[in-house]
Amino acid sequence: MQQHTRSGLQGWFLPFPFLSSLFPAHSARTPLLAGLLLCAAASAFAAPDAQTILAASDAVRNPDKPFGLTTTLLEYRNGKQTDSTTLAIYSRAEAGSGQFRSLLRFVAPARDADKLMLKNGNDLWFYDPASKGTVRISPQQRLLGQAANGDVVTVNLAGDYRATLAGEEDVGDGDRQQRHTWKLDLKARALDVTYHRIEMWIDTSNNRPVKAQFYAESGSLLKTAYFRRYQQQLGVQRPTETVIIDGLDPNWVTVMRFTDYAWREVPETWLQRDYLPRFRPQ
Amino acid sequence: MKSPWLTLALLAPLSAAVAQDDAAALQLADDAPNIVATPRDWAAFVELALADTQARSGDDPPGDARLSLDARLDRALAPGWRLVLADRFDARWIGDIDAQRSVNTLKEAYLGWQPGPDWALDLGRINTRYGAGTGFNPTDFFKVGALRSVSSVDPGSLRENRLGVVMTRGQWLWQGGSLTAMYAPKLDNAPSDDPFSLDLGASNPRDRWLLVAGHAFTEVFNPQWLLYHEAGQSPQLGLNWSVLLGDATVAYVEWAGGRTPSLAGRAAGVDDTAFRAALATGVTWTAPNKLSLTLEYQRDNAAADAAQWKALQNGPLDDYWRYRALAGGRQALTTRESAMVYARWPDAFVQRLDLSGFVRHDLIDQSNAAWLETRWRGDATDLALQWQYSEGDALSNHGGLPLRQRWQVLVAHYF
Repeated sequence: MQQHTRSGLQGWFLPFPFLSSLFPAHSARTPLLAGLLLCAAASAFAAPDAQTILAASDAVRNPDKPFGLTTTLLEYRNGKQTDSTTLAIYSRAEAGSGQFRSLLRFVAPARDADKLMLKNGNDLWFYDPASKGTVRISPQQRLLGQAANGDVVTVNLAGDYRATLAGEEDVGDGDRQQRHTWKLDLKARALDVTYHRIEMWIDTSNNRPVKAQFYAESGSLLKTAYFRRYQQQLGVQRPTETVIIDGLDPNWVTVMRFTDYAWREVPETWLQRDYLPRFRPQ
Repeated sequence: MKSPWLTLALLAPLSAAVAQDDAAALQLADDAPNIVATPRDWAAFVELALADTQARSGDDPPGDARLSLDARLDRALAPGWRLVLADRFDARWIGDIDAQRSVNTLKEAYLGWQPGPDWALDLGRINTRYGAGTGFNPTDFFKVGALRSVSSVDPGSLRENRLGVVMTRGQWLWQGGSLTAMYAPKLDNAPSDDPFSLDLGASNPRDRWLLVAGHAFTEVFNPQWLLYHEAGQSPQLGLNWSVLLGDATVAYVEWAGGRTPSLAGRAAGVDDTAFRAALATGVTWTAPNKLSLTLEYQRDNAAADAAQWKALQNGPLDDYWRYRALAGGRQALTTRESAMVYARWPDAFVQRLDLSGFVRHDLIDQSNAAWLETRWRGDATDLALQWQYSEGDALSNHGGLPLRQRWQVLVAHYF
């Protein structure tokens, strides 16, 4: 694995030998002009801003208009499939914050069919059609196996995390290809998030997320995720599979498959607690 | 200079192991089957339960069995129109295969019309429920008389297996909030024991209306207000509010209040109407291993306080049981104050094994009731073992129940 540090990155675009031929050493203006040109050259060649890379990577994962998709989660323990869940998910970005609001409907298994979860940041509501009750749940109150509630819905990481560029690395992606990536270090802006820190590897050529590692507040690795099987979906090459590996028990694996991408207009007024008993997919 | 190399040497095998684990996980994903599940507009399950009960008197009743069929349909008839049907049929045998009793509960049957995204109308029998509380819901105004066939004391089961109310319901929605209005007319006078009765006397014994308004002003401040009225009674105000504390704790409060008779007054036919409030408040905390613990305080100022409860216990037994039957039918608290711990642990110890249970502690007479369930979830079939236990002084809230202990094993198959 080839690794460049941040200082190595600064050295990447220096020196520029042609500058010395343009500005002889005796010229009084030399230091100033050379400095200006150096700055201009540096900015032209500099690595993009980490937050910009993260936002671009968000755009690869998340369509910019209201949409729906089907997510299938297959859970494995010690190489054996132990559970599977199918969810229909509807998402739309909030006009102001850009953060997604999502409505998640259980399709399978049959015992959970038509249960709903509404997620708007940490504002989570769960509705059970059998009991007719809508209750608030916490982000920690996972309804799925290994996956956190936030893992299965659309999240713009750039809104919740402050990114810094930790360097560049060549890493193997989920499809076993070597990718040249930006390595970003994401720190949560707020304390009430599931993951306090994320390391993310993003393909330098196309801003596709390749891999991510999610950490608890204590610093322990919670899970590793590979974004893979990129396909053209809603106009952009998007990952159609995420493979999640548990940080403590690597034999605990969840495969998330994304299918049936479609533009779906979910009215703003439906994405609220009091609409859940009435929600039915279009 | 040695230390970086030493570190690298130490980390190298670890890094190789991680790469191996990742490769194995990706191989699993490569080989994962292609599962296709499509949404359906119906759901159904069948449940068979066998139970053994021990009576407090020592004169144990015979074992009993139950077969239940539960089905729900939510079908779009045309754009904007939907038909909702939900029904449950319970067949019970007590001691003898010939001693069979059936109860059918038509939970819902209504037609819905939503001409636009911002408003909707429904007409028919609708099971509508409000309340942030876990074990006691003062704002669930339509719970009164809704239980027709009790198959478990689990609060979740009591919410699922109940009659809806015949009503017309309208909802107006705006961004972040809504207003819902319901009107339920009187359709009959008294509940029916007929196994296949629509039981309109239980669901619609008097004219009632309910207004519910909610708006999320912020993520933290999003209360839901209720205004309820039933013929011959004063309006009741209700409030539900829950808030997130950190990423693992939810705190909630459910309150209802208004001029109303006490439970003892209702039971005795005495009009002692005064302002009385009821409250359920608690916190639910979830551990990283998915164990959720709820601690709830429950109070109902219409229920008997210590002195009234003592008087009922020391008075004629008929009055005592009449009071208890009324409290049960109204799903109200029997005494003034109670506390409850509710635990739910999905995937406890091993995957697909769920543990859940509660302990109710009566703060007036110190009696206790407990219920525990171990449930194994198969792909389409559940197997569960339930244990119910109550203890306390004679004629106490929980110690006064005829049943001391009950074991129930059940198998449920989902279609």
